[in-house]
Amino acid sequence: MTDATVAPKRRGSSWLILPGIIWMALFMVVPILMICYVSFWTQTTFNISSTPTLASWKQFFSSDTYTGALWTTVRIWLIVLATTFAIGYPTALFVGLFVKSKTLSTVLLVICVIPFWTSFLIRVLAWRPMLGKEGAINIILMKLHIISQPIEVLLFTELSVIIGMSQIYCVFMVGPIAFMLGRIDRNIIEAARDLGAGFGRIFWKIIFPLSLPGVVVGAIFVSVMVLGEFATSGALSGRKVNLLGNIIVTQVGSLKWAMASVTGVILTVVMGMVIAVFLRIVDLKQEL
Amino acid sequence: MESRVLKPILALYVAAFILFLYGPFFVLTILSFQQGPDGGPQFPIIEWSTYWYQQIFGLTPPSRIAPLPVGEALIRSLVLAFMTMVTSTVLGVMSAQAFRRKFRGSTVVFYLIVLGMMVPGVLTGLGTSLLANNVIGITRHWYTTAFATHVAYTYPFAFLVMLAILNRFDGSVEEAAWSLGVNPWTTFRKVTFPLIFPGVLSAMLFAFTLSLDEFPRSLFAAGGTEDQTLPLAIYGTFSVEIHPNIFAFGVLTTLFSFALLSVYGVLMGLSVRRARKLAMQEDIA
Amino acid sequence: MTTETAIFRVDGVTKSYGGVKALDSVMLEAGVNEYLSLLGPSGSGKTTLLRVIAGFEVPDAGRVYFQGRDITGLPAHERGIGFVFQNFALFPHLTVRKNVAFGLMYGGETVSAAETDKRTQAVIDMVGLTGMEDRGVDQISGGQRQRVALARTLVMQPKLVLLDEPLGALDANLRGRMRNELRAIRERMGVTFLHVTGSETEALAMGDSVVVLDRGRIIQAGKPDDVYSTPASPAVAHFLNRFNLFSGKLSQGVFTGPFGTVAVPKATRAADDVYAIRYDRVRAQPIGAVTSGPALKATYIASEYLGSSVMNFFETADGKVVEVEHHLSLGAPQTFEPRQDYLLTWTPDQAIVFGREGK
Repeated sequence: MTDATVAPKRRGSSWLILPGIIWMALFMVVPILMICYVSFWTQTTFNISSTPTLASWKQFFSSDTYTGALWTTVRIWLIVLATTFAIGYPTALFVGLFVKSKTLSTVLLVICVIPFWTSFLIRVLAWRPMLGKEGAINIILMKLHIISQPIEVLLFTELSVIIGMSQIYCVFMVGPIAFMLGRIDRNIIEAARDLGAGFGRIFWKIIFPLSLPGVVVGAIFVSVMVLGEFATSGALSGRKVNLLGNIIVTQVGSLKWAMASVTGVILTVVMGMVIAVFLRIVDLKQEL
Repeated sequence: MESRVLKPILALYVAAFILFLYGPFFVLTILSFQQGPDGGPQFPIIEWSTYWYQQIFGLTPPSRIAPLPVGEALIRSLVLAFMTMVTSTVLGVMSAQAFRRKFRGSTVVFYLIVLGMMVPGVLTGLGTSLLANNVIGITRHWYTTAFATHVAYTYPFAFLVMLAILNRFDGSVEEAAWSLGVNPWTTFRKVTFPLIFPGVLSAMLFAFTLSLDEFPRSLFAAGGTEDQTLPLAIYGTFSVEIHPNIFAFGVLTTLFSFALLSVYGVLMGLSVRRARKLAMQEDIA
Repeated sequence: MTTETAIFRVDGVTKSYGGVKALDSVMLEAGVNEYLSLLGPSGSGKTTLLRVIAGFEVPDAGRVYFQGRDITGLPAHERGIGFVFQNFALFPHLTVRKNVAFGLMYGGETVSAAETDKRTQAVIDMVGLTGMEDRGVDQISGGQRQRVALARTLVMQPKLVLLDEPLGALDANLRGRMRNELRAIRERMGVTFLHVTGSETEALAMGDSVVVLDRGRIIQAGKPDDVYSTPASPAVAHFLNRFNLFSGKLSQGVFTGPFGTVAVPKATRAADDVYAIRYDRVRAQPIGAVTSGPALKATYIASEYLGSSVMNFFETADGKVVEVEHHLSLGAPQTFEPRQDYLLTWTPDQAIVFGREGK
């Protein structure tokens, strides 16, 4: 009787995960595999057939428009990553570390989030009357007699795209960094100061390394969104700046599914590499 | 810290940062009161007026500038956001509940779900429309394909919110209910759910707002004009000339969002009593 | 083993977590209307055993019987076994009354509203919570929470209630009062209590019988008196926290330890040679005194008043602390000079000796 083995009946709730897995498999994994598959289809002017071919791939890499879009995407991504970090880190430093009252830091974070209650596309459009030749910035600068002629490079250039994206995405840097800074034990900083370390030294030796996971999480957010962008570049560059996303939109618009798919695969690969590099620096699941 | 020097500098910096965040919105609000129908979406303000607000509600006589095609699009967007909210919250709660026990392959499943918020909307949208259009051969609609992509996008957020809530949840109250002869499903309805309700509310809020403003996925996965959601309607005005009516609309949607946030705040306030009780019990334990 | 007289029986239950055995073929049974204390240090597997009986954990091997029925595979809510948690696990969003009525309202058997109200009120009155019915469970004291936890379980009229360190979360004062109350309530209800505790005082004071668990195995079971006076192994003696334990060598009826050699008429079989003498059996004498029995030179360190007795601490040359308890009912306590050496002695036949050559 003692050695009677029990078949342990799983009082489990594992089946609860099934609907989620199925949904993500059907509407996330299969679509992405679909993009890879269709990128090898044969495209004619009005039609597409599933005969395998490398034609669209060859076309992508032999055209300056397409490869140019790839480099523009990478360039704008790197620049926006740098600007959002530069703009966001000091703000996060203030909110997460310098503000002692918890209420004030919450209020500041809420203030940062409020703009998200305006539609994304309208937030993009709002930059037009800001940056235009007769826009708010030029008017203010001229009233202040800083400039005598309106600055024209502000709108419908790569600069305007960068300004717009930096504003829209910088909050995604501030949040995670401020969160990590808020978790730092103030006693460590006090102890370091008692040992005679100056702020610069404390910052580089303690504060910055401890905030690094926040920087990485913020960078992942910003990268994911900037790499997949097409609306901001479309609206603020006057179609002069073409990102991979813009290529996909125009190709689908003209029913060139194969070319859109090739671009999609390349975007996926770029994205995968970027995220892999970031996850190498910090283990995301551990930090959550 | 040399906070005497550094702190004021940083405070000024943060002030400038907030100005940068809000600047465009101020300009947009000012320009929404531009004179109509001849005033353009730029400075100077010819004359202050509420013309563009009236136009949105169809209170102005017809002019050369067509009103924003937002009426039906708004309803579609709200219905879609509601469907998405319910579905992704249910999925999120179920999955997070499953994650309370360790199971084989849980890390893989975790990343599979999180993938939904990592992959850009263009890709999900493109892939889903390829699948529907070229492989299966079905018509895309806002309530079918677009709905599927919306849930695949918002469900990870709901999942992470619920995971954070359930990680801190003390399971002994559920065991107590079982030991009183109450079956697991009733236990979930009468004990677990009321206690995690604040989290569920946050997950719902996340899903609703993300879906309401979702644009790249809808662009590909929703069908033609009769399937336009609100962001698609706004996007439609991009290519043509823009008028201050879109700014007025922006101000209105922001106000609507605030109203929504207030409702959430009130609901949160109501359930805060429960949360406080829970916290007090945790203190003892 | 007859399942008829036992209310529950655990038969060879084994449970491991990641290769570590929390329970190792445990056999245990309890009769109807009995108070059983389960004593064990933390990590002994006592909570796991309770959770297996309750149905919160599935054993890797072995069977659990309740009222003669094999319930090993039955989910917790179909077992009808009550459980009182250490942290009480009250439903924080419900009032006292709703907490108590919860099982009647949502449980498997349908109980009419009138019946529910009647039974709920009766139990609330019994545990002394009358007048608190509509309070939230965050508006009552720790002791009252304990009563709610108990009432919530008892209202279901279970035949067996499992209590997982139920007094652990209460302060010392309250603990003493609740001890008596738990016993009284149990006797009135005629239900079997299986009370898990890490406190030897609690286990000995409350149980009709005591079971000692160590590293997943039951090492002794019996009446509190028997366990107290004749621990079955050095480990039990150690958990009881009432014995000075000396290691040494038992050879041909003679134990050699730090106190010299003593003849041992009777020894209990054990893996190690250990000499145990109860705290209150040891006497301290001036260093020059003549003793007939064992003599151990030790330095007096400090005393502690425990109400009805005084505990004196001595340290031997090799750093071991020996405790000497003096019951105040036997007269005024001796006074000792700090850092002064004394001779500790006792009557050899009051010692309990364990050894490889014991029986």
